[in-house]
Amino acid sequence: MKKTIALVLACLMLVGLITGCTKTTPAQSSEVESNTNSSTEEKNFSGTLKLWSFTDEVKTMVLAFEEQYPDVKVEYTMIPMTNGEFQTKLKSALQTGEVPDVVSLEAAFVREYIESDFLADVSDLLPLAKELGTYQFTIDIATYEGQTKAFSYQATPGAMFYRRSLAKEYFGTDDPAAIQELVSDMTKFEAAAKTIKEKSNGNTYMLCSTGDFANLFFANRQTPWVVDDKLVIDPKIDQLFETAKSFRQNGYEAQATQWQEGWFAGMNDSLVDAKGNPKKVFSYLLPTWGLPYVLMPNGAPKVVKAENTGKDSTVGIDTTGDWACINGPMPYQWGGTWIGAMKDSKNLELAKEFIKFSTLNADTLKKWALGVYTNEYLKKINPSVGDTLAQGAGDFVSSQKVVEEIVSEFDNAATSKFLAGQNSYKGFAAAAPTISLKLIQASDDAIQRSLNDPLSNYAAGKASKQEAIQQFKDAVKNALPDIIVE
Amino acid sequence: MADSAVKIKKSRHRFNKNIYGYIFTAPFIIGFLLFSLYPLLYTFYLSITDMTMMKKSYEIVGLDNFTKLFSDKFFIQALKNTWKIWLLNFIPQIGIAMLLAVWFTSQRLKIKLVGFWRTIYYLPNLLMPATIAILFFNLFSLYGPVNQFTVRAGILNEAIDFFRSNGWTQSILIFVQWWMWFGATLIILMAGMTSISATYYEAAMVDGANAWQMFRKITLPLLKPVLVYTLVTSLVGGMQMFDIPYMLTDGRGSPNGSIMTLNVLMYMKFSSNKGHIGAAASVGVMIFIITCTASLLVFKVLQERRDANPKKVIKRTVREGKHELCS
Repeated sequence: MKKTIALVLACLMLVGLITGCTKTTPAQSSEVESNTNSSTEEKNFSGTLKLWSFTDEVKTMVLAFEEQYPDVKVEYTMIPMTNGEFQTKLKSALQTGEVPDVVSLEAAFVREYIESDFLADVSDLLPLAKELGTYQFTIDIATYEGQTKAFSYQATPGAMFYRRSLAKEYFGTDDPAAIQELVSDMTKFEAAAKTIKEKSNGNTYMLCSTGDFANLFFANRQTPWVVDDKLVIDPKIDQLFETAKSFRQNGYEAQATQWQEGWFAGMNDSLVDAKGNPKKVFSYLLPTWGLPYVLMPNGAPKVVKAENTGKDSTVGIDTTGDWACINGPMPYQWGGTWIGAMKDSKNLELAKEFIKFSTLNADTLKKWALGVYTNEYLKKINPSVGDTLAQGAGDFVSSQKVVEEIVSEFDNAATSKFLAGQNSYKGFAAAAPTISLKLIQASDDAIQRSLNDPLSNYAAGKASKQEAIQQFKDAVKNALPDIIVE
Repeated sequence: MADSAVKIKKSRHRFNKNIYGYIFTAPFIIGFLLFSLYPLLYTFYLSITDMTMMKKSYEIVGLDNFTKLFSDKFFIQALKNTWKIWLLNFIPQIGIAMLLAVWFTSQRLKIKLVGFWRTIYYLPNLLMPATIAILFFNLFSLYGPVNQFTVRAGILNEAIDFFRSNGWTQSILIFVQWWMWFGATLIILMAGMTSISATYYEAAMVDGANAWQMFRKITLPLLKPVLVYTLVTSLVGGMQMFDIPYMLTDGRGSPNGSIMTLNVLMYMKFSSNKGHIGAAASVGVMIFIITCTASLLVFKVLQERRDANPKKVIKRTVREGKHELCS
C-alpha cells in the first residue's frame, strides 16, 4: 500500500514537472488560431497587433490607430533603451521567434535592423512617400540593397537654442540672425564661449556638457567609421577632441552629463555648483524634438515635494519666452524614430497598415504635429491611458508636403511662445532638405559610445592625444569583434 | 538452492527500493540536465562559433574567440578588476561580519536588540541592486548631494567628479558591495557561532581563557565549515558580479573600464550592435573555468588540512612516545 502511494506521488511529481514545462503549448496554439482568423479577414483590419517601442511616444499613435480601426487591438509594450535594454530584448526575441509585429527603431540602432534580414520589405509604400514628399534622408537610412524596410514620422534636423536674456547681456542683442553670425562656425562658437565666460566672470557657460556638440562633428565627417571592415578616424574627430579639451580646460561648459540632473537644471536656471553659486547655461544643441520634449518641459520651474512639512517648494524659474532657435555652428541631425514590421509577423498586412497610418498619412502627421492628440482626446479613445500621455504640438514631421502646409500654424503655437514668437518650424523646414545621412552605418552607435571615455580623458587632461586614440581603438576592438582596428 | 533464492529475493528487494530513489530524484535530475547542464555545454559550443543575433547563419571558428579575447586589453583589465573588487570587498566584509557576529553572540557582552541590529544590517541586501546603483549614482554625481554637502561644510575645496575618476568609482562600487553583503555574511556567521556548544566556552572560561583565546581556539576552528561555505559562495558571486557595476555608470564599466567586471564584459559583447553571442560565450567559458579552478583550490587546500591534521597529531604522539621510550 505504502509503495503504491509512493509510486503515485513520484509519478505526480514527474507529471508536475512535465506540465510545468509544456503549459504554454495550448495557449500558443489558440493564439495562432486567433491570428490566422484575423489574417483571413485582413482587408477589414481586425485582430491584434503587437508593438514594441522604447518611449510612450508611439503609444499616442497606437491610440489614434485604434480610433480609426475599432476592430483592431494593439498590444503596446514599452521597454526603455537607456542602457540598451530595448535592443537586447528585441535581439533575444529574434532568436526565439516570439517577435512583435511592429517595432519602433531609434536612429542609434535602426541601421542594424535595416541591414539584417528580420524586417519586412515595405518598399511598396514608397509611392505614398513620394506623394507626401517624405524627406529623402529618412528613407535613405531605412533602405538597404534596394529594399526600404521602415518609415519615420519625424525628421530631425539639429539646431541651437540659446537664452535671449543672456545674449542681450553678453552680446548686446538677442536677434537670431545676429547671434547666428556670431556662432556660424566652430572657431566663432569657441570665441563666443570665451566672451560669455569673461563677461559673466565664469558664471555662465556656453554649453552644459561637451557631449552636446559631439553629434555636430559626427554629422560632418567625410568618411564613414568603417571602410572595408577597417576603422577609419576622420579628421573631424581630431577637431572634436581639440574642441572638447578647449571647452573643458577653459571652463566654457558646466561639466554636466547629458540626460542627467545637472544638464536639465541648466534649462530652468536651477543649476547650482557645489559651493552654492548659481550658474547659467547659454545654449543647448538640440534637434527638432529637443524643443517640445526636452527644453519646454524642463524650462519651467520644478516642484520639489518636501517630506514631513507637506509644503511643496519650486526650484528654477520659468524660462518660457527667453529662448531663440538658430542653425548653430554646423548642420547636423540627431535621433528620430522609425517604424518597421517584422518579417515573421503573423499579421503583416495589419502591421503595414500601421506603418502607413503612422508615418505616411498626411492627416495623422498633421494631427501629430499640431498637437491634436491631447490627453483628453486620447482619454476618449481609451480612458485607461492615464493623465500624462499626450502629444504636444511642435514635433517636426517627415513629410515635406505636410510641413509646408502647416508651417504657418506655428506662428502662434506654444513652441513659438517659448521662443518669444520665433517660428522654429520655419527654420527646420529650411534645414531638413539639406540633411544627408549617407555616412550612417550599423556600427556607428557602438563606435561613438566607445569614444565617450577617451574623449572625456583627453578633455580633462588625463590622457595625451595618442593615449586617448589608443584607448578609443581598444574600446572599439572590444565592442565590435568583427572590425579590424589598426 | 535455498540460499540463492534468498539472494534473488534480496536483490529484487533492493532493486525495488532503488527505483523509488530514481523516481524521487528524477525531477531534479531532469531539471538539472535541461536547465543547467545543457546550457553549460551549449555555452561551450557557442564559444567556438561566430554566432551573432542579427544573422541566422553562423560558422564554427575554433578558438578564434579566445585568441581575440586574450589579445583584448579590456578582458585582462576586467579579469583584474573582478578579482580586485571582490577581494577588496570580501576582506572587510568577512572581517566586520566576524567582529559583529562575535559581539552579538558573546555571552559576556550580552548586547541587547541583537535581532534589530541584525535586521538593520541585512536590509541593504533586500533592496533591488538597480535601486541601489541609481541611488549611489545620484548621491555621488557632480551636482549631487555628496558634493554639495562636503563642499559647503568645508570638507572639500572643490566638487569631485566621482564617476569620471577610476579610483573613486571603484571605491564606491567596493563600498556598495560591502554594504550590501556584510549583513548576509553576518547572519551566516552568527548561525555558525550559535551552533557551537556553550560548554566549550564555559570550560575555557573556567580555565581562565580570555576572549581572544576563546575566539582563536574555539570559535575559529569550529566555524571553519561555515567559513569555507561563505568563502566559496562569495567567490562564485564575486566572479559573477554584474548588476551594481552595470547600473552604476553607463553599463560599459565607465570610466575607462575601471568597474568593468567579467560579467559586464560578457554582457557588453552580447548586447553590442550585432549581439556577438559567440564572443560573449567565450567570456562565459572563461568565467566558468576561473570560478571552478578557484573554488576547487579552496576546497582542496582546506580539505588537505583536515586530512593531514589527525595524521600529524598521531605521528607527533608516536614520535614523542618513541622519545620517551628512548630516554
